[in-house]
Amino acid sequence: METTKIASIVVRSASRFGELKLQRVFAALTLSVLSSLSSSGQEPNTLPQPNAKVIEAQNERIAAMKKAARSTVSVHGSDGQGGGSGVCISSDGYVLTNFHVSSPFGHRMRCGMNDGKMYESVVAGIDPTGDLAVVKMFGRDDFPAAELGDSDLVRAGQWCFAAGNPFVLATNLQPTITYGLVSGVRRYQYPSGTFLEYSDCIQTDAAINPGNSGGPLFNMKGQLIGINGRCSFEKRGRVNVGVGYAISIKQAMNFYWQLRSGRVVDHATLGFTVATDTKGRVSVSNILDNSDAFRRGIRFGDEILRIGDRDIATTNQLKNIVGIYPDQWRIPIRFRNEDGIVETHIRLQSLHLASELEEIIAGENQKQKDAPKKKAPKEEGEVEEEKTKPTPKEITKDVLADKFEEKLGYSNYFFNRLELQRITTMQASNKLPATDNSPQTWRWQGDLPAENQGFSGEWSSNGLTIRFGDQTDTLHPTQGWLQTTKKQSPVTIGMALRIWQLWHSVGPYGIGEAVYLGRNPVLGVAELQDCTKLTVGEVTCLVYTSPENGQIRVVEFFPDGQSEPAEIYFEKYTTDNVRSLPSLIRLQFGLETKLIAKIDSHSFLDRPTTEGL
Amino acid sequence: MTRPANCVFVLLCLWVGIALTIENNLVFGAPIDQSSTTVLMSHDTLVDRVQEKVVKLFGAGGAKGLESYQSGVLIGSDGYILTSWSTVLDVTSVRVVAYDGRRLNATVVGVDPPNEMALLKVDDAGLSGFELDTSLAIRPGQRVFGVSNLFGIATGNEYCSVQKGVVMAVAPLTQRRGKTKSLYQGKVYVIDVMTNNPGAAGGALIDMQGRLIGILGKEIRDEQAGIWLNYALPLDVVQASMDRILKGNTSVESESIKTVDKPHRLADLGLTLIPDVLAKTPAFVDQIRKGSIADHSGIQTNDLILLANDQRIDSRKSFERVLSTLNRADSFELLVQRGQELIRIQVRP
Repeated sequence: METTKIASIVVRSASRFGELKLQRVFAALTLSVLSSLSSSGQEPNTLPQPNAKVIEAQNERIAAMKKAARSTVSVHGSDGQGGGSGVCISSDGYVLTNFHVSSPFGHRMRCGMNDGKMYESVVAGIDPTGDLAVVKMFGRDDFPAAELGDSDLVRAGQWCFAAGNPFVLATNLQPTITYGLVSGVRRYQYPSGTFLEYSDCIQTDAAINPGNSGGPLFNMKGQLIGINGRCSFEKRGRVNVGVGYAISIKQAMNFYWQLRSGRVVDHATLGFTVATDTKGRVSVSNILDNSDAFRRGIRFGDEILRIGDRDIATTNQLKNIVGIYPDQWRIPIRFRNEDGIVETHIRLQSLHLASELEEIIAGENQKQKDAPKKKAPKEEGEVEEEKTKPTPKEITKDVLADKFEEKLGYSNYFFNRLELQRITTMQASNKLPATDNSPQTWRWQGDLPAENQGFSGEWSSNGLTIRFGDQTDTLHPTQGWLQTTKKQSPVTIGMALRIWQLWHSVGPYGIGEAVYLGRNPVLGVAELQDCTKLTVGEVTCLVYTSPENGQIRVVEFFPDGQSEPAEIYFEKYTTDNVRSLPSLIRLQFGLETKLIAKIDSHSFLDRPTTEGL
Repeated sequence: MTRPANCVFVLLCLWVGIALTIENNLVFGAPIDQSSTTVLMSHDTLVDRVQEKVVKLFGAGGAKGLESYQSGVLIGSDGYILTSWSTVLDVTSVRVVAYDGRRLNATVVGVDPPNEMALLKVDDAGLSGFELDTSLAIRPGQRVFGVSNLFGIATGNEYCSVQKGVVMAVAPLTQRRGKTKSLYQGKVYVIDVMTNNPGAAGGALIDMQGRLIGILGKEIRDEQAGIWLNYALPLDVVQASMDRILKGNTSVESESIKTVDKPHRLADLGLTLIPDVLAKTPAFVDQIRKGSIADHSGIQTNDLILLANDQRIDSRKSFERVLSTLNRADSFELLVQRGQELIRIQVRP
């Protein structure tokens, strides 16, 4: 009753004084009601003591948020303008953020951390399809990295919190924390065209506002579970309506090393499409006959049961799971045809043509020239980074000028060289001597255990001579590799050994065009392996090396788009007290082992030789 | 009421919500419900359990800012679904997608325009829902979850979205008369977060034990202040709607319609409805003949006829069918929607 009376007074006053007065009137009203409450209410010292569990939970939460705030990054243009968010995930300063956050800044930006400092930063790789980018901060080697959580364990109903720089509030570089509920998991948000697709993402009602983009979503242990990037708004305007989306940290980490490569990273397709058939099954509705899926026996009408680690019951689930993998990854698949259930692995192919990605880069380079005066047009639904008033500040000399290298197909080629350097440095002690950029002649002796036959060979500058039992084959140093692979010849083992020899003597760049791709899975190996693409004459080959010691694990030769690649696994190495040398090699086509070869002894000759064996 | 009055109301609600939250010593993240004897389950388990009782509804719409989807709540074990009465239901059969991804067809049992509620039914689906426990006392400051298919995010067997919130106020919507698109004027639970997003109408408001405490309302916005109000209908209101619908429904069975010898006819009433061009053309009044029964009764052009003698009118055909059961000499009652108002009209011959 009391309130109604006051309200009606307010209304009358308001209509008399107009809108501007209203705020003051209301403030006065609030004050008066508050004071009347406090006078009639209990004294502060008679308030009931809070439940100990509540205090405990609150302290845990404060600790988690404090921990999380340390790795949260605010992303600004190189002149300090604008603002998005990011999260530091390595002590050497690699930051995950959204592509749509880094993109308007060009390749140079500044990142703020809650130590109150701004760090000069440069973009590494970008993933326009998945809306991710990796930026590297410079200036420290002990950046506080976020602890990674397991986004597969996140479930609707769990609490979570976002940290970041909404509305560019973090002027003191302390992130804003917003708290909420996981509203849904494994959500799929349609791309615009084929870019900015959010698959398998986490939906939260924690406030995600403009400026939160690229920032972290944490679980209540302060572990990173996602990268915030998108909201549903529709008619509500560009402010939070309790529906935000985060890219799962699982997807982000699948792409992390690809992004560190400085490339424009691509997503993947299966090589077939699916539809829900009349029985409600997810079945193949169209398949490319040059796809790896086709080679693995998948045909029109087969029912897809499982992809990766996910059971498939709807087409949405399939789109979700495919979206979390980079192209070229090989993932498990289970399908059912007329003969029963088949479990196999398929290689994913690129979603875009190289030219489509290059167009993006062309656009990016243009932005670099225009940045930061012009902003890119925003896609609907993205959380746009907040614009601040310009604070003009001329950059006289770019301190990170040597950390950026422009090259077609890359957002920053500098990082590609950096990663290849990282890999090859690990094997520095295994270096084979080379003269005039050409390795020594190498001879090896061994046997084929299954066939009970001899195996030997020699690589010199003239080419390969290789002997399996009593059959001798030769191969030119660069020519004829394509035909050899296409024929599925055991001579491909010799090709792989040559790659090993060149890799350790003249290095990847001495072989041909070398591109670090990122980390890809290798069959039978739990950890992802560093993957480098080489072009040798007319064939493309992928070299997988161990992230721990840089040792070559697999070499794959791709003859063309149609044929089965040759896969040569370096199963074992021996050491001759100086260096590690391959001792057990396995050749595989498709998923079938063709040959296992053992090498017992190696000899390296100073001068190239023309002698046969 | 004027625009400032609305602002004051909303701000008051906000203030009350905040004040009571503090008073009840609710620390977010650690829900402690000392009043309850029920064992609290973890929130993700709770969310798992309520998912089975919330359905996604698909029907008419999809253009001009009208969504073709909304949410519904299963009640009891006979396949009844409560939802908001909206244009989504203007189809012969509403598509229901259950928690397990099953696609079912629901018939509209009836609607209750004053409360903007509708009751649907799916047959033999083996779905069980919430109990309507109208005895649950809801206080401002109480923590709640909204469960709905807002923005149509979930498809197939995907989970409906869950949002956390606090009941800020238990208050009537009457202040909103003339400002908003709400026909309902009664008591609502005002919620502090954006639960009433597109497609959320008809979703569940649940308490921390996973019990249904309300049905999420439509999107309401003050056209002048631009403020969105988020609310849910309390269960006693919902129960009343359900009772009315089930009572009215018993006499609408088309088989049992008893036509009379000298029924009311549109032409005799002086009433012209818009041409019957659709399967379910809404019973909109196109013209009124001057001096006719309709004119004297106060029916106006553009009125939408919703109920005739408490029987649901979902189309021009159903109105004509009801008229055919009414003796020309008898008076009858109509419920019409005129703009944003519901008006009861006695038609006296």
